[in-house]
Amino acid sequence: MTETTQAASRTGALPPEPAGRPSFDAWRFVGRYGALLVLLVLVVGVSIAEPETFPTKSNLINVLNQSALTAVIAIGLTFPLVAGEFDLSVGYTASLSGVVAAELLVQGLPLPVAFAAAMVAGAFVGLVNGLVITRLGVNALVATLGVGTIVVGMNYLIASGLPVTVPDPEPFLNLTLGKALGLPYPIYVMVAVGVLLWVLLNRTVSGQSMQAVGGNSVAARLSGIRVDRIRVLVFVVAGAAAAVTGVLLASRTGSAAVDGADGYLLSAFAACFFGSAVLRDGQFHVLGTLVGVVTVSVGFNAIALIGLGTYYQYLFQGLLLILGVGVSTVARRRALA
Amino acid sequence: MPDVAGGVRAPLLEVRGLRKHYGGTQALDGVDLSLQRGQVRALVGANGAGKSTLVKILAGLERPEGGEVLVEGRPAAISTPQDATALGLSFIHQELNLVPKFTALQNMALGYGQASRAGFLDRRAVRVRAEQVMSQLQADFPLDREVDRLTVSERWMVSLGRSLMRDARLIAMDEPTASFTDAEVDRLFSVIRDLAAREVGILYISHRLDEVLDIADEITVLRNGRLIGSWARGGLDRDRLTTEIVGAEVERLTAMPAVTSISHDVVLTLRGIERPPRVRGVDLEVRRGEILGIAGLVGSGRTELARVVFGADRPTAGTMLLGTSPYAPKGPYDAIRRGVALVPEERRSQGLLLQESITFNISMATLRDNRGAGHRLLSPGKARAAAREAVERFRIKSQSVSQLTGDLSGGNQQKVVVGRYLRTAPAVLILDEPTVGVDVGARGEIYRIIKGLAEAGTAVLMISSDFDELAICGRVAVMQEGRITTVIEAERATKEYLTQLCYALEGTG
Repeated sequence: MTETTQAASRTGALPPEPAGRPSFDAWRFVGRYGALLVLLVLVVGVSIAEPETFPTKSNLINVLNQSALTAVIAIGLTFPLVAGEFDLSVGYTASLSGVVAAELLVQGLPLPVAFAAAMVAGAFVGLVNGLVITRLGVNALVATLGVGTIVVGMNYLIASGLPVTVPDPEPFLNLTLGKALGLPYPIYVMVAVGVLLWVLLNRTVSGQSMQAVGGNSVAARLSGIRVDRIRVLVFVVAGAAAAVTGVLLASRTGSAAVDGADGYLLSAFAACFFGSAVLRDGQFHVLGTLVGVVTVSVGFNAIALIGLGTYYQYLFQGLLLILGVGVSTVARRRALA
Repeated sequence: MPDVAGGVRAPLLEVRGLRKHYGGTQALDGVDLSLQRGQVRALVGANGAGKSTLVKILAGLERPEGGEVLVEGRPAAISTPQDATALGLSFIHQELNLVPKFTALQNMALGYGQASRAGFLDRRAVRVRAEQVMSQLQADFPLDREVDRLTVSERWMVSLGRSLMRDARLIAMDEPTASFTDAEVDRLFSVIRDLAAREVGILYISHRLDEVLDIADEITVLRNGRLIGSWARGGLDRDRLTTEIVGAEVERLTAMPAVTSISHDVVLTLRGIERPPRVRGVDLEVRRGEILGIAGLVGSGRTELARVVFGADRPTAGTMLLGTSPYAPKGPYDAIRRGVALVPEERRSQGLLLQESITFNISMATLRDNRGAGHRLLSPGKARAAAREAVERFRIKSQSVSQLTGDLSGGNQQKVVVGRYLRTAPAVLILDEPTVGVDVGARGEIYRIIKGLAEAGTAVLMISSDFDELAICGRVAVMQEGRITTVIEAERATKEYLTQLCYALEGTG
């Protein structure tokens, strides 16, 4: 045993997976760190362009606060993607959860109960997604599109198509507007969800099983992993996380619109895919998704500060996604060649 | 076709001095072969005799290193499957290459590029042609049925029908009857005779010697990549044919000693295990601390049997015992918990996560063992320690345990998979073709690992098509058409004798 088990030396500040490469490889470097580089360039560039407004403490808090809702739903969406599945229903599920929470508050239930019920509703949608996929053998894309459409219908059914406005909304509004130690609550929620789900994915039997299923489901099954259970579980996680985003969104205004959170679907996907190009070779992971969300937020913030029209946000987000994923894909291919 | 060479019509297909080697083995060593119009030529030989390589070269899937192929007297350069098709050569491989969700008709229309003037597929013309072909084949199932709802032999007919859509002049069939009933075999033979009467040349590859003797006009025997000889119909009998395939004087099969098993040592018992079409009633006892080899020809049902024992597929009949308690695993999860493990045949597609580290791959089947003390969370340190232990114990050559398994050599990849399943501490370990694509050095180490396990009390079942390597076994069971037909002690398990047993008539053992 000579060269076999030398522990990787290049760990540094970047978790998880230390790279065990002996020599520097430019393409591999771009493949792994290119997306982070984009964020860095963006931060430095905007700091130079807008030194008065961008690099300030209050703007940093603002950016993170703006990121929080997308981050929570996107980190949840990361789970089906890790397991090699797809979930098109998360946006609708978030809307449903907002409506459920608001409706229960209207009926006078306490906030914690309403919040919990909304999360149960979100998890339940995920469970249905998972069962349709594993038991009926429906492709995930079709299953979640179908279930998502039913969820839209249920939203209208519950709310009769109108926004559900919470009377006496103070405590509810406080959920997103309140602060502790100078930081808005949503930032804490984002960090808590991020840590919790990072631990779930990287430090539990279920989480590692999800990665195994996504990597090679046949090999996973032959390794004694109960693949169908794991498939159901990833959708439950995505549904519950979507519910948190839905409730927080409704609390911003004190009322839940039936289609309020639908738009989060696309930003969540964009963040996950951009994040898959961060640090790991094209694999989805929690930290990457978080970096993806923050990168988009920094871009949006810069566009607002520089004073460009909001439509530039779409151009930016689309370009970012294609560049981030495209460049790292090309880089990986070069690194392998 | 008026291709006249010296007044005699050139043969439909002629192969001269074909050579091909893979690594250190000479798969084809100067093979000659010819096929006339309307002739049925059988190609027989043991595993590794060179039949598949020859077919692959004709199909344009492999390039020969020497020799030439002539079609109707003209040299033919077949470098892609399209070239083969254009020459009228058609191949029905064991994997049928049908689209399961397409109907029989849609499958037959694939590659039948007869478009109308506007460039659209002329559906009517296709249907008319398909119906014509199917009536010729005496097929009586609806053409609009999806292929995944057809029986195995019906699917086979669809495949054959697809070849006939394009006026194939030569059809090569690889083990066509492997999953057929007797009645289906009879029907196929009448179709083959009918095709031969229409001047189609048939190359018939099979391990089933009785069928070969029945259908072939001429039989060609290959052994170790060399042409042994060709015999016209009636020119040899079954015993002689077996001798030619085996390459040694055939031992009298009646002299088989009955193997007496010591019942208290039996770890795994199989009684009447069935999973049609490939597993057809297997009885077997595996003892503690033994290495039991399973020999058999390709398609004899060995892999399918292993999957049933491991819970990856359910048996349709039969019972299994682990020790003395009933064993009916619902899936690999159950099997592993009960102490049964399988190192699967396809290392890359069924074994490894190529994009993950050695550590991840080693831990996959034993994630629970990586939990830290006193809580349910996984400890990355434990996972790495386990991987380091495996790397050291099995001498896995790698830069670090973080290296991706996709970057390892075949032998080291195999050791990673073996290491993963050994961490489950199995009482019964099944290895399916453990040394395919593994270099000689790593091979020796894998044998060493297997022997060490058996000495420590594990019952090892080793499936192998390389009969030389079955020398490490204490006993060898021979599987033939879904059944274990013979079990012999190691000292008698020579390559020649095992090959002979693989071709033996059932019931002589």
